[in-house]
Amino acid sequence: MSAERVDVREKVLSASDQLAAEIRARLEANGVFAVNLISSPGSGKTTLLERTVDLMKESLRLGVVAGDVQTRNDADRLLRHEIPVEAIETGGGCHLDARQVSKSLEGLDLSKTDLLFIENVGNLVCPSSFDLGESMKVVLMSVTEGEDKPLKYPAAFKRARVLVLTKTDLVPHLQFSPDHAIENARAVNPDLTVFSTSSYTGEGLAEWTGWLAGQVAVLKRNKGSGESAGP
Amino acid sequence: MHEMSLALEIKAICERELAKLPESRLTALGVEVGAFSGVEVETLQFCLEVVMSEGFDGFRCEVVRQPGTAACLSCGLEFQVTQAPFECPRCGALARGVSGGDSLHVSYIEVECE
Repeated sequence: MSAERVDVREKVLSASDQLAAEIRARLEANGVFAVNLISSPGSGKTTLLERTVDLMKESLRLGVVAGDVQTRNDADRLLRHEIPVEAIETGGGCHLDARQVSKSLEGLDLSKTDLLFIENVGNLVCPSSFDLGESMKVVLMSVTEGEDKPLKYPAAFKRARVLVLTKTDLVPHLQFSPDHAIENARAVNPDLTVFSTSSYTGEGLAEWTGWLAGQVAVLKRNKGSGESAGP
Repeated sequence: MHEMSLALEIKAICERELAKLPESRLTALGVEVGAFSGVEVETLQFCLEVVMSEGFDGFRCEVVRQPGTAACLSCGLEFQVTQAPFECPRCGALARGVSGGDSLHVSYIEVECE
């Protein structure tokens, strides 16, 4: 009998990451910019999306994948805005995974989509570990949460490209300093682009949607130049 | 509780590795978990015990926490961190941003061959 040590050095999520890479390739081939929205439950993901799609649906072709533990409520709310929506009910699962997203994308016509929103399950921990093939992660934080949330849940803020502060209309009623919260987020990730928004008053939504439209335009331009640069 | 999903993936990796080594038994498993990976080490260890109990027994499980690195904006010192905020141990200034600490790997397995 002999003992042997085997160096494995394999990522725990290597199988999942491979599927995410396939999704990313599918989205890129179709020129789709995809945003993975992550936040605690109740931070206002669905309401922000409702306002966002109303502002953007005339100029861009949108799609949504909406995840929830149970019910299709979020998907139904978004369907009323007359855009294509696919619902994922995780049935207890605390995050969306690449397999679920890959399957739900079959229900959308990616060739007719410019901007895809993936609304993750409300949870600030687990979704940050799973690559869904998105172009970028966007983390939401509402002003009714603690200013120190980025310090308590650093993984989500470290991996996000954008922070959207939501419900800013409530700030006058709270002992919450947006500047302090943003400083905490930047302590974890200094490269975050930050938008302060209120889906109720509309504050900051023009900046947020304008920035998203800019990202879509950059993707289309790069894709166009990439294709024309071919043989 | 995504640690259960991760434990199942780790078990699948062990099974794939052992399939390459016939007539062998798992005696140790090494996993590396980054301090900023969003994974709770104790929960992962518990989930591993649960999922591995079917098919594997009597092996040693070593979960190592991998820190991240922050750089002080004031004095330039690079230092290891496991939680935010990142206070420089030399001058007390705060560092912004952290690199690394994202790891989530099966580092090694040890097997006994018959």
